[in-house]
Amino acid sequence: MIALLLGNFVLMAYDAKTASEERVIRVWTQAVANFVQSPVTTVTSSVNGYFQSISNLRSAQSENDRLKQRVQELEVQVQQKEELSKENESLKSLLQLKTEAKYNIVPAQIIGRDPSLWFDSAIINRGSLDGVKLNMPIVNNGGLIGRVIAVSPITAQINLVTKDKSGLGGVIGALGTSNALGVVNGNGKREMLEMGYIPGTIEVQVGEMVYTTGQDRIYPPGLKIGEVAEVRPGSATVPQQIFIRPSAKLYAMEEVAVLLYEPPATPEFEKTLPNAVKEDKKKGR
Amino acid sequence: MEQVKITVALIIAVILQWTLRNVHEVFMYVDFPLIIIVYAALQRNTIKALLFGTLSGIAVDALSGGLLGANGFSKTLIAYVVSEIARRVYLDNLLLQIPVIAGACLLDDLVYYGMHRLLGQEPDAPVLVTIAYTLIGTTIAGTLIYLILGNFSADSFKRRRRESLSSRRQTRRRNPIRLGKR
Repeated sequence: MIALLLGNFVLMAYDAKTASEERVIRVWTQAVANFVQSPVTTVTSSVNGYFQSISNLRSAQSENDRLKQRVQELEVQVQQKEELSKENESLKSLLQLKTEAKYNIVPAQIIGRDPSLWFDSAIINRGSLDGVKLNMPIVNNGGLIGRVIAVSPITAQINLVTKDKSGLGGVIGALGTSNALGVVNGNGKREMLEMGYIPGTIEVQVGEMVYTTGQDRIYPPGLKIGEVAEVRPGSATVPQQIFIRPSAKLYAMEEVAVLLYEPPATPEFEKTLPNAVKEDKKKGR
Repeated sequence: MEQVKITVALIIAVILQWTLRNVHEVFMYVDFPLIIIVYAALQRNTIKALLFGTLSGIAVDALSGGLLGANGFSKTLIAYVVSEIARRVYLDNLLLQIPVIAGACLLDDLVYYGMHRLLGQEPDAPVLVTIAYTLIGTTIAGTLIYLILGNFSADSFKRRRRESLSSRRQTRRRNPIRLGKR
């Protein structure tokens, strides 16, 4: 009994020490669990979809009429946009600008949630074989969801932004024009984030959008985090307390995307700083 | 036979713990492996209960955002405490087992939370609410699972069979005596 307890304690201590690195037991258990979780997720989502489609039939007729009208309106708009697009292309070729996708993405499905009530991680059905790496950002059409914390060949574990430790660089308003820069953290409340280090002298309005800055070297700049829900004013010396409602529906998501983003390399002069060795060991966080 | 049944039940419990939260959020309030570990410990097989506790705990931890080994630690401790109590106190009645499940669940949550705090990891969920919900969910589910396991156990099957056969014998024996008296 003592040997087992001691073994577990050593495992815990090691896990707490190397929280940001790959952990072999975790990775391979996830890969094994995928063979159970994936079929269950497929079956439950198809059963849910079946019942959803039955309930949707009731409103189908009126929705159909409304959509037909909408299609006609959109056809007109598409024609207009095609013309604009052609004009845009010709202008770009004149200016010799190249269009390129900002980041590659890998679409993924949530196949499992944290089996413990205490934490809020999730498992997706994409892993290192799909190009997913540690700390890559996870998004959906609403905005930022979190980052990858463990990768197996076929699955990956993700951590939600609302988790306490996941502090990230954020800016209220447009990046480059606003000077309301701060750090966004989870605050224990499941549907809310907290932003700190914004001086009390900067005016912040409820409803303003918050974006990533990219200064944390994990998330790329310009990703939507959420909108300001509450502002507790500070003073010239005390920073404001700002609460943010995440844009992404963190607890009702099924489809997500992994941004295949790798942060820029650390500049040479930063490697000579006293904490440089520690940072290299941490590999990000 | 009984040991095979408990092993199969534990494997099913771990799989349910991995998957059911994805089906519906309400299942996250039930700790299925803990229920089976307490059941194994109540059979007074301490070594097996301890091994079950460690393995199932680590299996759950591997898919959780918490520390690897925290569930293993708490469940090993629970297995030992419950099996020691079961060796000293008569706990073969379901009514007596219900408070044992509740107590085990409470202790498991407190140890799990305590170990995380000790190693500087703050869990996301509010402590009291989480403990209260898990206590209710696990106790209700545990009672139902013990009823099912009790009905399928080899001992209860033998007992029912013995009871049904003995009633037949009694009927056969009575008739000749009654006839003889007449």
